[in-house]
Amino acid sequence: MPTPVLDTLDHQLIDLLSRDARVSNRKIAAELGVTEGTVRGRIKRLQQDGLIAFTAVTGFEMARKSRLAFINVQADVDKVRDVARAISELPQINAVLITMGQFNITAMCLIEELDALVEIASDQILVIQGVHHVETSIAVKTMKYNAKMAKITSLQAIPADQD
Amino acid sequence: MPASDMTSTFNFDATDVNIVAQLRLDGRANNQQIAEKLGLTATTVSTRIKRMEDANQLRVVAVSDFGAHGFNFLLRIAVEVDGRPASEVAQELADLPQVFAAHIVTGRYDIDMLVALHDFDDLSTLLLDKLSTVRGIRSLTPAIVVDIIKYQFEVAPIEDRD
Repeated sequence: MPTPVLDTLDHQLIDLLSRDARVSNRKIAAELGVTEGTVRGRIKRLQQDGLIAFTAVTGFEMARKSRLAFINVQADVDKVRDVARAISELPQINAVLITMGQFNITAMCLIEELDALVEIASDQILVIQGVHHVETSIAVKTMKYNAKMAKITSLQAIPADQD
Repeated sequence: MPASDMTSTFNFDATDVNIVAQLRLDGRANNQQIAEKLGLTATTVSTRIKRMEDANQLRVVAVSDFGAHGFNFLLRIAVEVDGRPASEVAQELADLPQVFAAHIVTGRYDIDMLVALHDFDDLSTLLLDKLSTVRGIRSLTPAIVVDIIKYQFEVAPIEDRD
């Protein structure tokens, strides 16, 4: 992936918006000493290039799912992409990474109960064609999690049709 | 994150849930636009958003791509700990700027972390200058992130605003 060239103003904008995306263009413009038009144009370009996306992050009270779980998958090498895609289509799954290592796919999800993890891992992922081994682990304590940075996939670039 | 965040109870009602749904579609929509869609007043929308934010149950934020920060090389590293509490080792690892997520986990390994690097050359600095100085690491099992198919966390621990 080529590294996009971002200047100081882009980084200032990203920093401001990563703290609060609801601040108005006018306020941003005043703070950074540029015009509202510049702010609007820059935000639009960053969005179009898939470099930023706006999201509403809710705390655990709303979803009542507060445990992060990892599902490590060994899948046939020639089917990795298909398996990863199939896993990403499961609504309970938040993240799917294709990796080179002991496992070739890592899926992450947020769960409320242990039962839910077993159900996803054994009943939904292990049965996918090409999967031959699944291991799970649960985060018992999170020491660091930087929610401001992520991979912006096409799923997010196009507003997802929810509900 | 203050411990109270986990135990405090905040009740989202239907209006809150609807406002959050609108914000997920367009986080930059102004209060008036959201109000019109939901048949509320802009004041109600503004009050509700503020209430959820003050309770640390909502943040409307820009999430930026790893690429926007020049991080083109991601690693997931599973850590086995020996001779030292895992929480101490995890805290020391979390303090490294290259580590952007670190969790103590159940299972075969003790710590699971995600590391973001600019390129392959950063790896020697991380391994030889940083990780090698952390006491209590028995083994590191890395996996190179080749592709990210999905990455959508709409629920996360929310920290107090500084």
